[in-house]
Amino acid sequence: MQRVAIVGGGLCGFVAYLTLRRARIEDVTVFSPAADPAAVFRVRAAAIRQTHMRSESDGHCLPTSFPGLAVRDARARRSVAPLVASVLDRYHASVETFLAHVDDERRRSGWSPVPRRVEAVRAVDGGFELDGYGVFEHVLIATGHPGLAVPEELRDDPRVVHAYEPHEYAPSVCVVGAGLAAATEWRNASAAGARVTSVRRREPVQRPLNVPRPLLSKRGLARFHRLDSSARAAELHDLLAPSYPREAHVDVPVERHVNGADQVIAATGFLRGFRHDALLAPLVDENELPTVNGWIALAPDATVPRLTDGERTLALAGVAAQWAYPAADTLMGARYVAHGFARRCRTR
Amino acid sequence: MSYTLRGRLESRLAALALPVLAAAAVHQWWALELAGLMAAVGLALDLVYHRPIAYQPGWAAVPLGLLELGVVMLLVRALGVHAPLRWAIVFYGAAWVWGQVLSHALLPLWRQSWAEDGGELGARPTLLAAVALVLPFVGGGAVYRHNLPPLVRLGAGIHQGPLVIDRRVRLVGAAGAVVRGGIVIRHRDVTLSHVRVVGGEYGISVLGVRNVTLDHVTVVRARLDGIHIRHASVRVHDCTVDMRGVPQGQGIDVSYGLIQGENVVDRCTVIGGRDGIVMHGSMGMLTHNRVTATTMTGISMVEMSMGSVAHNTVSRVRGIGILCGDHSMCEIERNTVAGTRRDDAGGNKMRAGFGLEVEFESEAHVSRNDLRANPRPLGVFLGATVDP
Repeated sequence: MQRVAIVGGGLCGFVAYLTLRRARIEDVTVFSPAADPAAVFRVRAAAIRQTHMRSESDGHCLPTSFPGLAVRDARARRSVAPLVASVLDRYHASVETFLAHVDDERRRSGWSPVPRRVEAVRAVDGGFELDGYGVFEHVLIATGHPGLAVPEELRDDPRVVHAYEPHEYAPSVCVVGAGLAAATEWRNASAAGARVTSVRRREPVQRPLNVPRPLLSKRGLARFHRLDSSARAAELHDLLAPSYPREAHVDVPVERHVNGADQVIAATGFLRGFRHDALLAPLVDENELPTVNGWIALAPDATVPRLTDGERTLALAGVAAQWAYPAADTLMGARYVAHGFARRCRTR
Repeated sequence: MSYTLRGRLESRLAALALPVLAAAAVHQWWALELAGLMAAVGLALDLVYHRPIAYQPGWAAVPLGLLELGVVMLLVRALGVHAPLRWAIVFYGAAWVWGQVLSHALLPLWRQSWAEDGGELGARPTLLAAVALVLPFVGGGAVYRHNLPPLVRLGAGIHQGPLVIDRRVRLVGAAGAVVRGGIVIRHRDVTLSHVRVVGGEYGISVLGVRNVTLDHVTVVRARLDGIHIRHASVRVHDCTVDMRGVPQGQGIDVSYGLIQGENVVDRCTVIGGRDGIVMHGSMGMLTHNRVTATTMTGISMVEMSMGSVAHNTVSRVRGIGILCGDHSMCEIERNTVAGTRRDDAGGNKMRAGFGLEVEFESEAHVSRNDLRANPRPLGVFLGATVDP
């Protein structure tokens, strides 16, 4: 029996891999159809013409929060400005800096995933059978967002393009959504000379990071984890409402419905819920895993309680781990899950 | 960083460990006391910070550090910790910088999940906290003890002097230990304890050094001064100097030590001789001493000296009981002077049996002295001033 597998080689899988390496856990197999852990991020960031990360200095792939990207930037630029900005919570690495960091770590770590997509994870005695690739004791599923969300009423509209798909701007643009991608598109389309309108169901929440800062660590998480299922689901629903930092705000006219614009950009994020994930949905059904409002009910360390015991571990990373860590689809979230997973791999 | 309460306390303790050890290593009590105050203030304020500061950005370390510095320095003054201001601030600043390096870099590197655990250091927190708090103080105490000068015991019996001490040492005499011919101290960090000195030009000389302590020493029949302190900083306490039969000798002479720092003579008994305790061009405190049967003055603070003469008892001396003279500045409080005799031999009216005399441009603050049983309780001469 092999020991550790990571299913999915995106950024969350990559963070987990680096964390396991630092913990000196050597026999780790990563399954990913793409060799570049930033492949998906690269496409989406380019599509919305993102120039800087929303995350701060610790939004990187390494297992420890220090040294962060501000330190890397300060060394590269021979300037203390990034460090000062970081102390003031004003540092946001450029996308270019972040991608260079990913490339560096990829080379340095010997990252070479098995170029296969795992189609099914089946619980067996003492571990998990991965789609004919063998049985592993500890498995981390990091399959990422299950797909782009487009509102039902716009699905057949030929003017519609999703914000995260490559696109240019028509003379008039209607942006649907209220998150960071929408705010970025307001700015981009305006800069391209388009007449921009915004369609949104609610006023945007303005905050620096995806969730309030105490929820990134034990102080806020302890209270979150104590909530009963319905209260936690309600809080999660509120926390995951679209938001963006104050400085990203652009004033554009707001309309209630999609108008006659030449182009409609759906800045509506991703499909939500395990049902949209081809790997997780059958796993839930076969093992009758408890779920709440589309989330798989996880332990605080993002493991699946029913499939985790002294012999084996099944943990989820990325958006699927939001039940344990509301910001699980961020780099800090990836690190949180990876730490917990490494602890289980090391001690069992 | 969003600290949990436990995380705040554990991280604080971890950050304090090195400064406390450093404080112990510098071999200064004030440093250890300052480190203790920093620990107490920091931990107390952590309890205060916890609720209102749910998230603490990096920059907040600056105003919080200044606040803590202010509280620590207030306590330093209130509790009378003898910490030199500049070095105390340097010490605090270095400890603060170390704390920042620790929390921003070293702790996150050492413990991967330190930040997401709210600053908690992991398993067995009580043990860790106890170790972090107690070990440095125990270690500091051990280091301090290790740094003490070596102990040398002087056996009972007569040792022929003069004995010259030219290295750090704690010389402790056994019961009946006597040095004949005097002791000369020429090195700092010397403690002389429970030794009887007989004869010698000077009984005990301390020349040009600091941090010397004379504890429970007895000097008998020195030819000039019983205890002779020049350009030095010395603490003398519980001593006995017998100058009977030495009409020109001085019991304790402290001279020209302004540069070296404060001298203290406390709880000493001086009998006979010309002057009992005399301080020239020095700074210090002469307290709780008993001087009797001298022929010139009982206690004098002269030649631009500065200091306190308090709680002394001077009796049966000739001429002047307590003298503050020659541009000196004296705090003279709660002394008892009695039985001073007139000295008419030279026709000097300033020696007409004054309990307390202030003369020649000196300034004295005088309060609650008992000078009644003297021919002249108080004399003020030659431009001197007395502030009652």
